[in-house]
Amino acid sequence: MSTASSPASRDVTQQDRPAPKRWTGDGTSQVPYWVYSDEETYRRELERIWYGPHWLYCALEAEIPKVGDFKTTILGEKPVIVVRSAEDEISVVENRCAHRGVKFCQSRSGHTKDLLCPYHQWAYDLRGELIGVPFRRGVRRQGGMPADFDTAKHGLRRLRVEVVNGVVWATFSDDTPPFREYLGEKFWKHYTRVYDGRKLEVLGYNRQHIPGNWKLMMENIKDPYHAGLLHVFFVTFGLFRADQKSAVDIDETGRHGILISRKGAQEVNDVTADMRNFQGDLKLADPRILDVVNEFPGDETVGMITIFPSVILQQQVNSLTTRQIVPTGAGGFDFHWTHWCYADDTPEMKLRRTRQANLFGPAGFVSADDGEVIEMCQQGFAASPDAEALVTMGGHDIAPTDHMVTETAIRGMYRYWREVMGL
Amino acid sequence: MSTLTMDRPGMAADAALRARVRDFYDAYYDALDDVRLEEWPDFFTAECLYRVVPRENHERGYMLCTMQAESRGMLQDRVTGLLKTQMYAPRYYRRFPGPLRVTAGTDGIRARHNLLMVQTLIDQQPNIVLCGVCHDRLVEDAERLRLAERVVVFDSEMIANSLIYPA
Ligand code: FES
Ligand SMILES: [Fe+2]
Repeated sequence: MSTASSPASRDVTQQDRPAPKRWTGDGTSQVPYWVYSDEETYRRELERIWYGPHWLYCALEAEIPKVGDFKTTILGEKPVIVVRSAEDEISVVENRCAHRGVKFCQSRSGHTKDLLCPYHQWAYDLRGELIGVPFRRGVRRQGGMPADFDTAKHGLRRLRVEVVNGVVWATFSDDTPPFREYLGEKFWKHYTRVYDGRKLEVLGYNRQHIPGNWKLMMENIKDPYHAGLLHVFFVTFGLFRADQKSAVDIDETGRHGILISRKGAQEVNDVTADMRNFQGDLKLADPRILDVVNEFPGDETVGMITIFPSVILQQQVNSLTTRQIVPTGAGGFDFHWTHWCYADDTPEMKLRRTRQANLFGPAGFVSADDGEVIEMCQQGFAASPDAEALVTMGGHDIAPTDHMVTETAIRGMYRYWREVMGL
Repeated sequence: MSTLTMDRPGMAADAALRARVRDFYDAYYDALDDVRLEEWPDFFTAECLYRVVPRENHERGYMLCTMQAESRGMLQDRVTGLLKTQMYAPRYYRRFPGPLRVTAGTDGIRARHNLLMVQTLIDQQPNIVLCGVCHDRLVEDAERLRLAERVVVFDSEMIANSLIYPA
């Protein structure tokens, strides 16, 4: 190995890679900017978080109703196939041929009898077992696989799967506890409020690439402080406002969070007075987008759940979506929205949900600005990795609150993040 | 509704209609590229349907759109939202409509064309924010052509962050 004396000519070897940076302060009230931009840290996140003991969102069960139906997606950075391999079984296998590593399935979704790699036509069954190797015994006694070649050892990599009330979850790790335990009882209750076992149906998809670190998306949803200020449309029409009865809940580990709120009316008061751009006199020409019906038990109208690390389960009035995070490097992620309804919804309800979808997604009245502001965060962080973000709204502690003027859930996530990252 | 120009046979009528449709789109895209958003809803009838839909949803029969409006009022609300409530980085859009195919039916003029929308953010290289095909239906409405229906099906399903301005 070369010495460090002449850095200009030195080969960059594995050993030369810098260790992930150290989090110098204690606690989680300040988050150093390098957590959003350092590539080594990101690699470590992939190993310890995305491929570690965590359940990752894959699909809605309703996307693959029949045996042989499949969809492809990406978990962390690894492409996978989610396939209904039997009447009551869903398999998640890596979309990577066991022969030479080809990402062999290029369709977004479809129906198939087996999984076939086009390169040398190795065939796998729906559970990922290798069932066919052309010319395995050679051609006219020439060539062929060695005698000790065992097809049982060359299947596709299979992930652990749980299907929970219509949602498919998978994990790369054997150490991940069962899903319900992973959520914790409190979040199991939050989860089953909307995913209550009724059949779901897909209304459609939205996809966007946001040039910001994936954690910023989690933070955005864990941050009710911004929601009462940035989202003028919501605040104006009372869909989300800082003075409405609300709460932030956090699981014991700090990794999962939920914002709970109630819809109010359009009104000008002392709270909106703190908002520079509040639009008190705004009227809609066609107010059908605000035609909201109460459909869940209790008087809460908003439940935005962040299930660490991969997904946001959104219930905003009648708009229901899963918002999957697919990281693409330290500085960006793809955001896959699946908008859904209950299979037994009336046509009016389905229409209401698609109408309210205009509030969200890449062109949403209140979500486009989240994408924009996350990009702006990344622009601010990138050049000053050692500066720090302040996360002290509501104090320094990490505990559920019954109000929105807090960043407690962000602190909770970083407490967990530091633990699992060993930083 | 008055008789459609296209209902009358003959080459001259065709050419005249095509010219009117072209003028319509020139004015439409001019207004949008110049960000005269207040003028945009007027290109539509009062009971219009406007959809900007990812190709996947369109092909699979999913009703969900990235942008949807079921009336001119909703288009006006989209403009109000953009001008008064939304926060976004400053940007320019240029729209490049492709070859125009015009046919006439009993329910109006069908016009189909490709559309490329290029977005330029301050201090950045331009990039494609949307690439797709527009399926439009125009009708005579108070002495001018208006869009009764516009469905923009876009191939570029991975949107570069946000789709701020309409197509
Ligand atoms: S790489 Fe897939 S069959 Fe050879
Ligand atoms: Fe937000």
